[in-house]
Amino acid sequence: MKRLVLNPVLDKEFRSRMRTWKSPLLISLYLGTLALITLGYYWTQQQRIYYSGFGPDVGPQIYVTLTIFQLMLVSFVTPAFTAGVISGEREKQTLDLLICTRLSATSIILNKLLASIAYILLLIISSLPFFGVVYFFGGVLLSEIAQVFLVYLMTALTFGAVGVFCSTIFRKTQVSVVVTYVIVFFFLAGTAAITAFLVNVRPNFGGIPAFAYLNPLVALYSTFPGSFAQGMPLNFGIGSSRMVGLNAPVSSLQPWHYNFIGDGIIIVVLLFIAVLLLDPVGRFSRLKRWFRRKKPVQVDGGDINEETHSEELHNEAEA
Amino acid sequence: MLFIENLCKQYGKLTAVDNLSLQVDTGAIFGLVGPNGAGKTTTMKILAALLTPTSGKAWIAGEDVSANPARIRQLVGYMPDFFGVYDDLKVDEYLDFYAASYGISVRERRMIIGDLLELVDLSHKRQAYVDSLSRGMKQRLCLARSLVHDPALLILDEPASGLDPRARVEMRELLKELKSMGKTIIISSHILPELAELCTHIAIMEAGRLVVSGTNQEIVEHTRTGRTLQIRVMDQGDAAALILQEELGLTEISFINNSLELPFNGSNEELNHILTRMVKSGIPVVSFSEGKNNLEDIFMQVTKGVVQ
Repeated sequence: MKRLVLNPVLDKEFRSRMRTWKSPLLISLYLGTLALITLGYYWTQQQRIYYSGFGPDVGPQIYVTLTIFQLMLVSFVTPAFTAGVISGEREKQTLDLLICTRLSATSIILNKLLASIAYILLLIISSLPFFGVVYFFGGVLLSEIAQVFLVYLMTALTFGAVGVFCSTIFRKTQVSVVVTYVIVFFFLAGTAAITAFLVNVRPNFGGIPAFAYLNPLVALYSTFPGSFAQGMPLNFGIGSSRMVGLNAPVSSLQPWHYNFIGDGIIIVVLLFIAVLLLDPVGRFSRLKRWFRRKKPVQVDGGDINEETHSEELHNEAEA
Repeated sequence: MLFIENLCKQYGKLTAVDNLSLQVDTGAIFGLVGPNGAGKTTTMKILAALLTPTSGKAWIAGEDVSANPARIRQLVGYMPDFFGVYDDLKVDEYLDFYAASYGISVRERRMIIGDLLELVDLSHKRQAYVDSLSRGMKQRLCLARSLVHDPALLILDEPASGLDPRARVEMRELLKELKSMGKTIIISSHILPELAELCTHIAIMEAGRLVVSGTNQEIVEHTRTGRTLQIRVMDQGDAAALILQEELGLTEISFINNSLELPFNGSNEELNHILTRMVKSGIPVVSFSEGKNNLEDIFMQVTKGVVQ
């Protein structure tokens, strides 16, 4: 377990990533974008408050705008960090050298993903001061902010797993990045569009279809304070937007809980396949060895153990 | 050290390795020779536990390559023909990363890295970025990388490819040093004279099959049918050529500047008879020797240029 977590891959990725000027530049750009959004929204609300007096919704409104933009940024940044982790090694011709070591495929895959997620987590944490602005106005609980950050983390993990999976399947990073972005786009817009279509076809539709819970925006909306959590605009067609209730199938669970369950399954399945694909020789090796020990091999009419057979042949070779 | 039995590797309809059986003794430098597409790299990748054979088996130090890849990776140091490096790491960080990947402790790593850099003569580049190294230095660094876990068997796929003559000589000296350290080495190369000088054993592959294998001497013996006879005379070269034509019934005799060269498949008695007749005929023979086939000649003889 220690080897799995305190891993040289993680160490190298951190070292390589933080060594270049690209990292501080990206953090600056990321925070700059969030700052522009926050200040822009604050400025427009200031104008409105100036004419209409006290605005109790300003805090939650800035919060909602900020969290949605941050989710979009996380969704945009994650594939860029993860969709080339394995294909990049393959292109640089370093993958064979990595697989040749004692590192298991599981360890390589998990640590590559962890290294990317850690950087995205750095971006998310560095955006915390912007959420402090919301506290000037009030209306948002700390627990709600914590939930939002959990949604970010889960979204980053899910899209990260998609990126690592594509990076293992496709030999070229370019292809992997494009496919990852298409899948991310499907999660964000595709599920919403299909849901909106289904809701329009069946106007008496009470809730939203199960796959819509995979959309991180649905999870995000369900964590919003007060009236913001009551519904989300799902009708993207011409005409007035219809608010569809986020009735969870079981009342005790929130939509973001369902999102986490769905994402969890996706992460496990994709990473499992990626591990199997990465090292075709090493996969199931422990299982194979166990079966070989159990299974006797028939040689010249006698039963001998496979390993004994190999030793005999080796001894012949030595002789 | 290594025992291969009926090893096959197929990619769809293409047979990259076809029923290969080999044996490499401990401490040997085993040269794997063959044209492009002969199956050398595939064989080496199977031995490095990077590919699964379609059928057949290989054992390294008694361990089945397919059954226990983790153990094999500990026993084998592999250097591929084409490899990349992490440009954003320094030389010592690069070796430290791989040493850590083999589970070596921090304290041991410090010692090993120093020793290896000294061995490959890169101590002065310890703090340099890998990206800044020359091709030859990168090759040596990759060799050092393949040694971080002190493997018993080194598998080097074209380690001297793309190197200038000086770097090739340095690489050759390095491999000799490793041999003296007791390492068993399997090496493939296209630079055949170097292999002949370096290797204790040679195997020639073509189209996935093993054509010939053994010690250098055994291979020469195996291809004895293709030996040549070289004669140098002071003059009367025409008379010497006539005698050779009469004795051997040959027409294809090369005669340049009083030197005669011809293919010869006869016995030592026949050689003696030809020499005696020339001397008795008064031909001033300066030298009379059997031309030794070099590895290049043997390679050309035994391979047919089959491309997969």
